[in-house]
Amino acid sequence: MATQDQPLVVSAASLLPALFVYAVLLVVPLAALFGLGFWRADGFTLIPDLSFANYHRILTTGLYRDVLIRTVQVGMITAAIVVPMAFALSYVMRFVLERRGALILQLVLLSLFSGYLVRIYAWRTILGKQGLLNTTLQYLGLIDEPLVFLIYSQLAVVVTLCGLLLPLAVLPIYSAMLNVPDDFLEAARDLGAGFWQRLRTVLLPMVLPGVTTAFAFAFLLSAGDFVTPSLVGGMQSTMIGNIIADQFRGIGANWPLGAALAFVTIGAMMMACLAVVSLLRGVSRW
Amino acid sequence: MVTGFARLFVILVVLFLYLPVFVTVIFSFSTSPRLSLPIEGLTLDWYRAALDNPQMAAALRNSLILAAGTALVSGLIGCACSFGILARKSARLRQGLLAFSLLPAVVPLLVTGIALAVMFHALGLSQGLRNAMLGHVLVCLPFVILTMNARLQNFDFSVLEAARDLGASRWRAFMDITLPLIRPSLIGACLLAAALSLDEFVVTWFNIGNQQTVPVLVWGLMRRGVDPSINAVATALFALLVTLVAASNLIGKRGAR
Repeated sequence: MATQDQPLVVSAASLLPALFVYAVLLVVPLAALFGLGFWRADGFTLIPDLSFANYHRILTTGLYRDVLIRTVQVGMITAAIVVPMAFALSYVMRFVLERRGALILQLVLLSLFSGYLVRIYAWRTILGKQGLLNTTLQYLGLIDEPLVFLIYSQLAVVVTLCGLLLPLAVLPIYSAMLNVPDDFLEAARDLGAGFWQRLRTVLLPMVLPGVTTAFAFAFLLSAGDFVTPSLVGGMQSTMIGNIIADQFRGIGANWPLGAALAFVTIGAMMMACLAVVSLLRGVSRW
Repeated sequence: MVTGFARLFVILVVLFLYLPVFVTVIFSFSTSPRLSLPIEGLTLDWYRAALDNPQMAAALRNSLILAAGTALVSGLIGCACSFGILARKSARLRQGLLAFSLLPAVVPLLVTGIALAVMFHALGLSQGLRNAMLGHVLVCLPFVILTMNARLQNFDFSVLEAARDLGASRWRAFMDITLPLIRPSLIGACLLAAALSLDEFVVTWFNIGNQQTVPVLVWGLMRRGVDPSINAVATALFALLVTLVAASNLIGKRGAR
């Protein structure tokens, strides 16, 4: 028998390579990005500085503010669709289909590997003016003219993001539900609790950490996406990610401004995320 | 009744997730360059057009180099890390370490990509395959650790303790006992990292400079407009990714038993 004071079989040193990677390739770069936000750019030359000019410019320019608000909006709408969908899907897989549910889960997760760019681009084929949906509806005689609002719009962005993020939201919720014993819900039913009551007072509090993680995934990753709006969004659905990306790989590139924008965005997203998470906590405390 | 409704819901969700895949595969074989129904005829022309793209060979080579390098490096580091996590005796510590190791997966790829570009620039490391490779290792690691952690959940550390009690060195115990036991899980995790790396676009885009990978090439084609050879490349990539993930699951599961 191993006792507490015996040396561990696998030393903590095996954690070091990964910690090193995270420190050098995540923490240091994020710190460098933060520092760069206080520099200035003169054409392609970066000038070290400690000025709040970039932040001042971001907070006083209407365009940045509008795009930031729209980005948070799109992220919230996407999360508001994706999280309940993921919850319902996980519930059905875990409690209704049981064994076959695990098979469906594999299928849902496999869709993550159908190509990130491809999954976005394909929605252009589906929602386009002469795309699958419009030609099918016309063929069936349901519409005369193609519906143009389907593509290059906020609607297209939200639909595409939902497809991208649903599998990622299912993962934490389903794992949380795996830890809920069947007899908990059965006991609640035997005591006379209806479906919604069981959901709110028994299941939701038990899987809340999973729901919170799913929300964070769906919100942060959809609000941080710039590929979707640039492929299926229109002029009116530019997101903050597009503007940040352009500061790093665009014609009028301005790295310091892009860095500051990234941190303003992170700040706004964290605040929005924390607000919803505390709201979720409040709702399930009954 | 309820079960029927639940079934219908699951079918609709799976259709929603796979509709883009069906569309891509079908239109990669369709003769009409206009992407609409009904399909007039079948052809392999778009596959030929994709192969004829002068940048395809270089893109494919770079993608394979990145995938192989990422698989090896993040596979080994991730394996060591998840072992280190699982061997901790306090459940709290294990959970904390696991949550921390997932951190790069919550940072939007855009932020990771530009942050790496800024640091590499400051260090004077010019953009290219090397920078992209380091980025791939970082973004693949959390998924390797997560998978390994699930697969090694039932690993019996007492066999290692027994070996050490019998006088085996740490290295000897690892080579003779641990490695043969975890080899399937390790290979599975490496294949998963390869699949993630082959599909990675955002971090690559900000760090690879003017070189190509398959996703970077596809992005260029997408930006230029409707080009059915995109569907051909996408279908081939999808087939490759699914093969890698399926192999990763099959091999990895055999180890978990």
